[in-house]
Amino acid sequence: MAGSSSFPLTSPALSPLINAVGRVVLGKEQQVRLAFSCLLAGGHLLIEDRPGMGKSTLAEALARVFSLGFKRVSFTSDLLPADLTGINVFNTTEATFRFQPGPLFTQVLLADEINRASPRTQSALLEAMAAGRVSLDGISHDLPEPFFVIATQNSLDQVGTSPLPEAQLDRFLMRVSLGFPDRASEEELLRGSFSPAAATPPLLDGKSLKQLHHQCAAQHCSDELINYVLDLVAASRQGQGGLSPRASQALLAAARAWAMLSGRDYVIVEDVQSVLPAVVEHRLDAGRPAGSETPLSTKLLERVNALR
Amino acid sequence: MNRHGRQRLFKPETLAWFAMPPLLLQCLTLNWSAALTWPTYALLICALLKLWRCSKPFDRRLAALLQLLSAGLLASQLQGLLATILQLIAVSAAFAGLLGHELGGMLSVRALLRRSLQLLLAALPLALVLFLFVPRIAPLWTTELGPVRGAVTGLSSDLDPLSIERLATVNASAARVSVPDGEALPTTAYWRVLVHEQFDGRSWQHRDPPFSRQPYRGLLNESEISQWWVIEPSSTRAVPWDGRSKPAAKDQWVTSEGELMVGAASRQKRSFRLRKGTDAMRWQLRPPFDSERKHPPASLPRLKQLGARFRSLPTDQERLQAIERWFKNQPFRYSLNPGPITDLDNFLFENQVGFCGHYASAFAALMRSADVPARVVSGYLGGRQINPLTGSPYLELRQSDAHAWVEVWLEGTGWQQVDPTLWADRNAFDNGNQGQQRTKLTWSDRANWSPGRLGQWLQGQWWGLDMAWTRWWLGLNQSSQQNWLQALLGTQQKWLGLFVVLACTASLSLGLLMVQLRLGSHQPLEQSLRLLADFGVTPLPGDTFSDLCRRAAAAHPDRNQLLGAMAHHHQVLTHASLNSHQRREHLREWWRIQRELGSPS
Repeated sequence: MAGSSSFPLTSPALSPLINAVGRVVLGKEQQVRLAFSCLLAGGHLLIEDRPGMGKSTLAEALARVFSLGFKRVSFTSDLLPADLTGINVFNTTEATFRFQPGPLFTQVLLADEINRASPRTQSALLEAMAAGRVSLDGISHDLPEPFFVIATQNSLDQVGTSPLPEAQLDRFLMRVSLGFPDRASEEELLRGSFSPAAATPPLLDGKSLKQLHHQCAAQHCSDELINYVLDLVAASRQGQGGLSPRASQALLAAARAWAMLSGRDYVIVEDVQSVLPAVVEHRLDAGRPAGSETPLSTKLLERVNALR
Repeated sequence: MNRHGRQRLFKPETLAWFAMPPLLLQCLTLNWSAALTWPTYALLICALLKLWRCSKPFDRRLAALLQLLSAGLLASQLQGLLATILQLIAVSAAFAGLLGHELGGMLSVRALLRRSLQLLLAALPLALVLFLFVPRIAPLWTTELGPVRGAVTGLSSDLDPLSIERLATVNASAARVSVPDGEALPTTAYWRVLVHEQFDGRSWQHRDPPFSRQPYRGLLNESEISQWWVIEPSSTRAVPWDGRSKPAAKDQWVTSEGELMVGAASRQKRSFRLRKGTDAMRWQLRPPFDSERKHPPASLPRLKQLGARFRSLPTDQERLQAIERWFKNQPFRYSLNPGPITDLDNFLFENQVGFCGHYASAFAALMRSADVPARVVSGYLGGRQINPLTGSPYLELRQSDAHAWVEVWLEGTGWQQVDPTLWADRNAFDNGNQGQQRTKLTWSDRANWSPGRLGQWLQGQWWGLDMAWTRWWLGLNQSSQQNWLQALLGTQQKWLGLFVVLACTASLSLGLLMVQLRLGSHQPLEQSLRLLADFGVTPLPGDTFSDLCRRAAAAHPDRNQLLGAMAHHHQVLTHASLNSHQRREHLREWWRIQRELGSPS
């Protein structure tokens, strides 16, 4: 379960990747694995924490290790949608408009401090996340494959942020919070025994990533497991709110990826339990973390019989 | 998926609560003056409180035990078909609640109920052996502690025959009787209940008989049975009977007036049976008491005067005939609403409109003033034959069948039954609402049924089932058990003890085998959970099987490897896609680990 120090065996094909990222972000194996499963499941990742906790570092290391095209946009309150998507530029020699792609046209987009941007810009980005293409002046431009958004956001108690609405939060497969490193990891950090994100070696090419995606989608889910996911979703729907069908799809997809990271070709209940906090928490608390109380996902887990 | 949806509606432990309504419902019908009622209530209240505030596993078990005990106590007191079904529901709910707790809430409600029914089924062989072989003790529990109180509709010792018309509008059932298959039901018989022999000029009173039990002793032969009765709760111990049959059990006796008493608590539904009787009973030949000869008081001068006229006739028989002739010559009319009748003089000579109570009272008073001993009997007349789809036909007596008639003492023949109501105007009588409308409800004319009639029909069917159950249940009482044991083991029965022990052992092991087969083999997960429970690990909310194994391994480091392997095989069996060969292999391995874990280290 989450928080326990011992991790199940990692699949031999993926362990070098995890180790490489683990050398960049020290002592955060759980979060690294979650980020990996998010990418393997083909979802977008939201990393939330205070400034200076290593959010951008993790995002950059992830992009590099998969040898994907990587662009970084720092979101500010005056960032306009066109700054992301690009614009049509008038070509004086040919007397036509030519599309000048913006930073969105990349494989991994690191949207730094997404909650500092105006809602209008946020929604332009999220439209691209959902549809995988950008429409400009009636012409749609396909984004490259694969397309990941790794967004980071400051905690909401920071000044000058506009929180993402629920509908947009739902588009992120996972929300991961890094948290403070433990003493040993921080000591390593201070002694400089880590590798910088920019030096992360590319270990996988785009083709292999596609294969991994297919493999992930083919993980075996037993009836019992699907029932378990259904029970969880149904339990969340008692009372107000509840998880959307997109959330249940996301939960199963993330569990598949987690199982693959563990070197299994079938999904077990523990996989679901491991990814559940990251997948459902931001959908249940509507962007307002519960703070010191029992996390909603823990309560949800306790309400469903997991003996199967 | 449905199964899982239902699971969330209420927790499996809540099932224990479902045992309470049937138990409480039965308790309400118990007789407060019976000795065993109080412990039953006490047990049930304890169970309720325990269930209310149960925090520890021990509390749940205790609550279930209390529920089962009170169900057992109820079963010893209430044996009707409905009661038996309610007891069955209560017991299976209590078992299911207990199982729901013991198995850690891992089964759906439906599975728990199925499991508890299987448990009951497994206990059935032992129950049958005990039922058939262990000698029955006399019904101690029906001993009443005090007089019966409370209002129940029906004939009672307080009900004067002159106000019997109150019952005419009551459409409640009073009693049901069935006879051995092949015999015709006596649909026009007079069923006597109470004898009223004290007359004070205004009303007739019933005197409670002196306590002279002469209970029936000896073995009863099945072929001697002539009637099976089911009596609805009433406020008197006296029950309807034909005056000829004989008691067939220790708690039945006939009083000197000719009332049949059944010792069982009267505010409950009672059932009993009677033996065939052909010769005259003792009560019929018992000479009249002084109270049965006493002349009417002086407040009825005209009646006394008329009666005195017949005294000159030489024999009782002639006096009877003369008074009958006088009655038939008068223009009496039958009516349940006769208007104000101040006294019997007024009825006999002025009003001349009345119902059976008036005819019987006036006639008995006249006979007495003519020096012929007479008394009024209240009971039921006729009844309605019902042919249920399920069993043999039976006769239903309703409260509206209540009737009053007269018995006169004729020297040489004994007490003779006379019904003066029959001498009233026949036409008026037929129009009277004396419960005589024998509208038969049959399956063939179902097209004409209204909802009310359908309800009646359903009730008739239910009572038919109830009757069949009663006959079967009563048929296996002490004496017929003796008969059947004699047939099996001879008269000596010296091997009875050994036989019972052997049969009990056999049925117990059969039950255990059933439990093993039905509950064990198909559910490796449950078996493992029980095993882990022995290791001191019970599931917490949200625990997976591997979590349990890890906790058990932490507590028992020496079994670490086995527990880990068990968790792994469980994972593979449940979630991986296996072919049948792989599945068998894993299952085999799983069983091996279980055996190894189960064996002491």
